[in-house]
Amino acid sequence: MSAEMDKLIDIVITGKIKEAKDATQAALDVGHTPFEIVFDGLAAAMDVVGDKYAKKEYFLPQVLLSANTLYQGLNIVLPMLKDSGEGQDKGTCIIGVVEGDVHDIGKNICKALLTGTGMDVHDMGKDVPIKDFMQKAKDEGADIIAESTLMTPTLDGMKQMEKMLKEEGLKGKIKTMIGGGATSKEFSDQIGADAWTYDAVECSKVATQIIKDR
Amino acid sequence: MADMTPKERVLAALRLEELDRPPVAVFTQSATIGQMEALDVYWPDAHMDPKLMAKLGAGQADLLGFEAVRAPFCLTAEVEALGATVDPGKKDRTPMLKEHPFKMNPMMDEFDEPDLLAPEEFLNTGRPAAVLEAIGMLSEQYGDDYPVIAGNTGPFTVAGHLVETENLVFGIIMSPDEVHKWVDASNEICKAYSQALSDAGADVIQMSEPSASTDLLSPDMFDDYVGMYIKDSLAGVKDAFSCLHICGDTYPLIDNMIETGVTTLSIEEKVDPAQGVEKIAGRASVVGNVGVVNPLLQGSPEDVMKHGRTVAEAGFNVVSPGCGLSALISNENLAALVKSVKG
Repeated sequence: MSAEMDKLIDIVITGKIKEAKDATQAALDVGHTPFEIVFDGLAAAMDVVGDKYAKKEYFLPQVLLSANTLYQGLNIVLPMLKDSGEGQDKGTCIIGVVEGDVHDIGKNICKALLTGTGMDVHDMGKDVPIKDFMQKAKDEGADIIAESTLMTPTLDGMKQMEKMLKEEGLKGKIKTMIGGGATSKEFSDQIGADAWTYDAVECSKVATQIIKDR
Repeated sequence: MADMTPKERVLAALRLEELDRPPVAVFTQSATIGQMEALDVYWPDAHMDPKLMAKLGAGQADLLGFEAVRAPFCLTAEVEALGATVDPGKKDRTPMLKEHPFKMNPMMDEFDEPDLLAPEEFLNTGRPAAVLEAIGMLSEQYGDDYPVIAGNTGPFTVAGHLVETENLVFGIIMSPDEVHKWVDASNEICKAYSQALSDAGADVIQMSEPSASTDLLSPDMFDDYVGMYIKDSLAGVKDAFSCLHICGDTYPLIDNMIETGVTTLSIEEKVDPAQGVEKIAGRASVVGNVGVVNPLLQGSPEDVMKHGRTVAEAGFNVVSPGCGLSALISNENLAALVKSVKG
């Protein structure tokens, strides 16, 4: 590690959004690879942000600020990382809010923390039909489909997702993770989802584990 | 006390009077498919037509034995009148906000001005006008025996629906003055609407402010961006009880909610019932907090009975679901909740 990397980490944690680009460039200039910047720098910083959110030291505004700071840095190093071929195996995740629901703040926090792990995250947005999740997962060769809902009528969509994966012979190959206010561990077990997580911090930890266990 | 009307019992409970048993009533969204089928009144029509709204709003009392009537059934009436695009939903699904009518982009420094309808014009527009009419009908038809609860939406949630909640929350750090401008403008609407609902005959104004949950805002942010406004709008309402509902784990927020000056708190099952009552300590009446997903939607009638009794024994002034009912909750489970309290 270097003073430049420590500074970048601090900038993401404290959300000094305007300093993120220069700090990322400075870390590159002293010889850090894009891989190191993503995984030792930006990912480590978002891990701290996630912990602070879990401990209620941070609330949504601070998380959004850190996430936007993170994206400033990622915009610089992710294209370089793809070109270099480094870090290609951190997994691919399709994330979205299921059809019938538009509450997407929780999903957006999950996206920020998942992106922070270096995973290739494809955000489908809100009110997303199950078949669209499925198509995108196939197109991207995804490891994980992460679905969220805050509303009870949309729970059925999550059940349909499991059914569709089975019909297409992809159950087990693509893992499903569900979350959001209307969901529960019991419901997840009942429909056969691969994981249920309580919040965004747990979501990012469980997703990382799923990728490790592939 | 056995010959008290439901209205006398609920209002006594909200005044923190000693009773032989607490009342049981749905203070948040109360309609379910079971009630719609029995009454032959369905969503989305009942969101718009005052007569249908009143009929379905009385379902909890007429069909299930709860001790209140209530309308409306969603949190989109205000913002639809203020220009938001709303999908009216279906029989089993509440209306859904499709588009936010105003721009707030703290990253790009782009902000629309909160150019909203004048409050008196708002009260005569679209669904808010329909809700006021429905509350008038409920008051006339049920008001002697049952408390009439009118639901509305809090200023921070309304402002979030107008500019997108994530932008509003992000604005707290990036552009606090813009956030205040929007919540203040929304609060003028909320204040006029709360008082108009009271004037139309509501005994309780139950304001839901889900976007002020502790998942989103810290208690300090709540004071600065939500509490100070609710103090003026909901807590200032005349001739009705003021009930503030916030979703999620409100335990860390209880003092802040009480400091707004509302008469009553409505809290979710994420707060342990006994700990919640202990912390509130009689400073406000408390309504809740039987879980909507568990046990009401996914549990058995026995599970519901158990939760209902736990909440009653913990000392809740009114036993109620912790949040708005899912339309899919069965009549059996709702009947079990009533039975757990009334016997």
